[in-house]
Amino acid sequence: MLQRKLFLLAFLTCSVLFVKAQDVDLNQMLEDEQKKEEKDKVKYTEATFKTTRLINGHSIETTQKGIMDFRISHRFGTINGGAYELFGLDNASMRMGFDFGITPRLMLGFGRSTYQKQYDAFAKYKLLRQSTGKRNMPVSLAVMSSAMVTTMKWTDPTRPNYFSSRVQYAHQLIVARKFSENTSIQIMPTLVHYNIVKFIADPNDIIAIGIGGRQKISPRVSVNFEYYYQLPAYKMPNAENSLSLGFDLETGGHVFQLHITNSRGMTERTFISETAGKWSKGDIMFGFNISRVFTLKKHKKK
Amino acid sequence: MKISWLTITALILCASFVQPVIYTSNNGVINFRSEAPFELINASSKEMKGAIDLSKNNFAFRIRIRSFEGFNSPLQKEHFNENYMQSEQFPEASFSGKIIETIDYSVKGKYSIRAKGKLMVHGVEQERIIKSEIEVTGNSIRISSEFSVLLSDHNIPIPRVVKEKLANEIHVSINTELFAK
Repeated sequence: MLQRKLFLLAFLTCSVLFVKAQDVDLNQMLEDEQKKEEKDKVKYTEATFKTTRLINGHSIETTQKGIMDFRISHRFGTINGGAYELFGLDNASMRMGFDFGITPRLMLGFGRSTYQKQYDAFAKYKLLRQSTGKRNMPVSLAVMSSAMVTTMKWTDPTRPNYFSSRVQYAHQLIVARKFSENTSIQIMPTLVHYNIVKFIADPNDIIAIGIGGRQKISPRVSVNFEYYYQLPAYKMPNAENSLSLGFDLETGGHVFQLHITNSRGMTERTFISETAGKWSKGDIMFGFNISRVFTLKKHKKK
Repeated sequence: MKISWLTITALILCASFVQPVIYTSNNGVINFRSEAPFELINASSKEMKGAIDLSKNNFAFRIRIRSFEGFNSPLQKEHFNENYMQSEQFPEASFSGKIIETIDYSVKGKYSIRAKGKLMVHGVEQERIIKSEIEVTGNSIRISSEFSVLLSDHNIPIPRVVKEKLANEIHVSINTELFAK
């Protein structure tokens, strides 16, 4: 009796196993395996923004390693100049810049603006990268520091003038999160430091909080905004807050950024703390940035 | 206590029924190539997963799109994932179905076969018959194959500005060795 029971049990187990072996959905099996593996891997979020600038200011992105990014930016005059100024197109100010990706996290760049004959150089380093999987990091964090030197002739050459008087600095923390494939937002607390200011009452340190974001409307096109709010206690008198709206269009190795903004400058100091235009008065400028990347270091073929 | 021979036979039989009939691999090599007039693009991955069920002549292959490396620049890789394959939305490509020919897997040797199944790329499924070479070595099964995938078949548009840099016909080759699970 016992033997018969044992036999039956063995037979049943056997048939269950057999049926199970037959019914494996291979595709499903591989998919489950893949999911399990992904849990043990860190997946870094890529392409939070299309390029290293949001509009005027920096985005969380850094230029990729071994890549040079040649950037040409223009800001035209205010559109309230009317048809006489061809809505600002008569007055172009320009910045030409070269950015370099040194490591996957570090980029360096320099540029020259026609506005106030200014040279600038900066470094941006990614401290944290947004990730999922084994390590869950909700945001990316980067730190950006730039130095700007204006080279206009001294207003009063007779008094002692020092090189340091021409220099200003900006330091920024950039906290960004890619909320979805299409939506990314970043917050940029910023400190702008002037070695020297015009009037004794002007502050040497300006503190501003920036917020910016993008919404992709197709794989190659996104709508961007950027706003810098200056803390009232730490701002230049009469300086406006910078507000910019724009598009990113991407085609192969180029990114075209078209925008309207109330800021004329394209370096941190000039747009964060010295914006003069008022949106309400129509002091809006059309502008564009063109980015073209070149591969300096050939990628290792695998 | 005695256990009858019948039970033992049954258990042995049972064991022989569930002996491994599924062969798998998770480090298959897959390579693709785009040959356009102005640009040659190459990328590959060593993470292809594969499985064959010998008892039913079924197969499945999967590849994580983000695992492709190579390309001519990191930016190109980013565009590949962001703009063309949309890897966030469609993280994997797969091919699964049935081998048309019946192979006697107990005999070592090389066989030319046709694999019929559904090729899923960029979320679009296409019924395909793909010729492959299978080699039964005794403890493993080697598979290699070369075939083409048309971007237009999988709803991946080529913008006009890169028409001369990206071919519509992508050459794909795979090479993998599967072992009993």
